[in-house]
Amino acid sequence: MKKMSEFRLPDDVRYSEDHEWARLEGDAIRVGISDYAQDQLGDITFVGMPNVGDAFSQKQEFGTVESTKAVSELFMPIGGKVLEVNEALEESPGLVNEDPYGRGWLILVKPDNPDEFNSLMTKGDYAKRLKGAE
Amino acid sequence: MNHNSKTWLLIELPLTDYVEAWNLQRALVAAKARGELHDDLVLSLQHSPVFTIGRRGGREHLKVTEDFLKRSGIPVIEVERGGNITFHGPGQLVVYPIIDLEAAGIRVDEYVCRLEEAMIRTAAAWGISAGRNPLNKGVWVGGNKLGSIGLTIRHGVSFHGLAFNVNVRLDPFSWINPCGLDGVGVTSLERELSREVSLTAARERLMSHIEEVFDVNLVQRNLCHDFQEHICMTRYSEMYSSDSYNSCNS
Repeated sequence: MKKMSEFRLPDDVRYSEDHEWARLEGDAIRVGISDYAQDQLGDITFVGMPNVGDAFSQKQEFGTVESTKAVSELFMPIGGKVLEVNEALEESPGLVNEDPYGRGWLILVKPDNPDEFNSLMTKGDYAKRLKGAE
Repeated sequence: MNHNSKTWLLIELPLTDYVEAWNLQRALVAAKARGELHDDLVLSLQHSPVFTIGRRGGREHLKVTEDFLKRSGIPVIEVERGGNITFHGPGQLVVYPIIDLEAAGIRVDEYVCRLEEAMIRTAAAWGISAGRNPLNKGVWVGGNKLGSIGLTIRHGVSFHGLAFNVNVRLDPFSWINPCGLDGVGVTSLERELSREVSLTAARERLMSHIEEVFDVNLVQRNLCHDFQEHICMTRYSEMYSSDSYNSCNS
């Protein structure tokens, strides 16, 4: 297993307790899973996505990432309505492993309450949380 | 017993209906997620006959008619675990470790690999050479499946687990495409050895290999006495309080 300090933790996103990230893009939020989360799961073989237009509250389950025989549930870092899903993951779920903060993004959300974004962890807080698990 | 090892609590259950055990698992996972239950634990049981379909599966892998199934009296249940369709029944060891993988520092793929290893070593104790197969996770004897794995990870906690065929009836597996794979056979310790195998002996062996591969000590606990606050909302506790089930009073 990688050391916690070896994980890529960009500072242009915020992090949730369940290892999702959220990036502010105009008045929308892009969501994915952290480098730690993709490494923890191993080779991702399938991503279970919500539909565009679905609405979820913060911390509600919105999808799954799956490796062979293990289904890992995904939870909303911020409540809102799904504007887009990353359709490339249907053909290439491994993008989540290769590029978790880029081409492996999961969904784009219109937030209900933008203040929820500020409740998420900064890079520094999240790094401390990962170190705590080490 | 290795005194430096971590402790996982072992809860042995009687023959248990699938839904009862499923509710119990979800209640325990929820208690862990709320921070009310810190222990990692392992449920060891057998199920009454049931087909279960994981998230990667569908009824298209049932090879018999709904009418035939109805007459067989075996229910079909769709569940949130990974994997496809399988059969559970008496004579199959079912192990549901409820483990905070994140806190334990175990990656999911490594966890699957160690569960497979515990089953491979158990088969080896009976002189059976079982192994992995790139076709599918689980453990195999040649082209026949001996043990299966299916997991869900919720808030970092893994549940569901493994099923290892000791002396379970194998005919219901022929009614499905096990794991959603066509032409896959299923076997058991008893089938491989062509003689009776004690389920208790197999369970003890499997538990000791689980201790070995995860470097833990399994310490037995009684569900009703030690975990009542976590299960009192589930139907499971009703089962325990019913007259038909008396192991809690023992």
